[in-house]
Amino acid sequence: MKQGSTIGRVLHLSIILLLALFVFAPFYVQIIYSLKTPAEVAESGIAFPTRLYLGNYVEALENTKLMGAFLRTLLVTVTSVLVLQCIAPVCAWVLVRQEKRRFYNFQYYLYLSAIMLPFQVVMLPLYSFFRQIGLLNTIPGLIIGICGFQLPYNVFVTASFVKTVPISMEEAARIDGASVFSTYWRVVFPLLKPITITTLILNTLSAWNDFQITVVLAFKENVRTLQYALYMFFGQYSAQIHQAFAAFLITMLPVIILYLALQKYLIQGLTAGAIKE
Amino acid sequence: MQKKERFQQFLLTLPSTLIFILVVVYPFIAGLYYSLTDWDGIAKTWSFVGLGNYIKLFQSKALLTPLKNTLQFTLVNVVACNILAIFVATGIQRSTRLNNALRVIFFMPFIISLVVSSYMWTYLYSAVIYPVFGIRNPLGNPQTANLGLSMISIWRNMGYCVVIYVAALQTIPESLYEAAAVEGANAWTKFTKITLPMLIPALNINLTLILGWGLKEFDTVMAATGGGPGDATTSVAFYVYKTTFVWGKAGFGQAIAFVMMLGIVLLTSLVSRFLRSREVEM
Repeated sequence: MKQGSTIGRVLHLSIILLLALFVFAPFYVQIIYSLKTPAEVAESGIAFPTRLYLGNYVEALENTKLMGAFLRTLLVTVTSVLVLQCIAPVCAWVLVRQEKRRFYNFQYYLYLSAIMLPFQVVMLPLYSFFRQIGLLNTIPGLIIGICGFQLPYNVFVTASFVKTVPISMEEAARIDGASVFSTYWRVVFPLLKPITITTLILNTLSAWNDFQITVVLAFKENVRTLQYALYMFFGQYSAQIHQAFAAFLITMLPVIILYLALQKYLIQGLTAGAIKE
Repeated sequence: MQKKERFQQFLLTLPSTLIFILVVVYPFIAGLYYSLTDWDGIAKTWSFVGLGNYIKLFQSKALLTPLKNTLQFTLVNVVACNILAIFVATGIQRSTRLNNALRVIFFMPFIISLVVSSYMWTYLYSAVIYPVFGIRNPLGNPQTANLGLSMISIWRNMGYCVVIYVAALQTIPESLYEAAAVEGANAWTKFTKITLPMLIPALNINLTLILGWGLKEFDTVMAATGGGPGDATTSVAFYVYKTTFVWGKAGFGQAIAFVMMLGIVLLTSLVSRFLRSREVEM
């Protein structure tokens, strides 16, 4: 878009830069504080540290509760993302290719309408059901819960993607005598790569950052994941700020790395679903 | 052959279907039943109360504050996120190196969990912003606490809207602006007559998303304020959680959850339908 005057453009960009500063400042302050001792924080505040102090990180890493939660979160995230990739795309593919059959069409609309569902609606029944069958406060239970709640979104966006994939290659494979599964695995799945990457990132973010499902399904200390562990920790003690910031940075490091490495795909995926050209 | 293939297809969808039934479909139906009982969530027995919980819900004054808080939080979020994001997106839509870097920065908060965002900001409010700028922690004052929470959420969600708007802006044909320039239109006219109308599909996405997230607001409340001070930041979702698991009125909480769901569906579909009627055909 061609903007009007140069002054207007400069003003526009200046305010944007100010906003960017506001968005980035919390990260900056966290990094700076986490690299200082309490005395240095009191003395120099948000100025750049003069020397590298890693004590806060060492302390956070030595906090066994936090690190246990970190590893558990890693396990829960990786497993649920893999489970979702195994079950959701193939389901979406069948739902789209068999959409004329009422059984699958009905399923498709069930998934679609579940996307907006607030967790509060199934919270209590899920809790009491999982307690009855022994899945409450277990890692598998949490993984199933996270997968189940991500599933509608995955099925829906993958189904939208499958609709744009031409059916002719599948038909050729079928004529050559390929089974249903090998048609999916050899022909369809490779074509789904863009949407696979997008859902992979989004599922990772949701699983890593999940709080609501964890609060209800995995609240005991031996199964606690990161977000709830942080909640318990900072809810009970008001930790010193430089230590808290070091802990926060450690917990967000994996997703930040993932984001910076794959941000191109993430943005493409988000906007491809959103903007029809 | 046909039959065998159909069976194979069915087998391939089965894992997904089973997990979906286990986590969503069955709990949803069970929840409908629980909402008609006076169950406390733990006891082995309960009695059927029919629509009693729903009647109680519409008479309950205690629900008004969470409702007001949620609506206010949502409205502030929807308006601020979208205005700021359109403002930002129109300035960084061209893919220069600086603009790409800015997009990465604006989206960054979105990948942080709501829990960490909340704690981060409570620390920033009390230990950094107050000593450095002299602005009091808004979360400590019932008058401003809800706005303080909105701030956290705007900080986190704005970048998502920016990304969607940038993508939408890039699809607007340059020729429209050139034609307007020939007619002597100024920047503001171009913005209101070309940019805004062309952004309506993107606005629709961002509005309904932020609306949905706002109305379901839970994590920030639980982590940053615990609903306080008093009940100044208690949202509907948080109220449902407390009613069900803390106050032991599970049947009643379940009924509120269903009404909340209906409200969300109704509001988002109304907004979405209204905006769709405003879309311009290309």
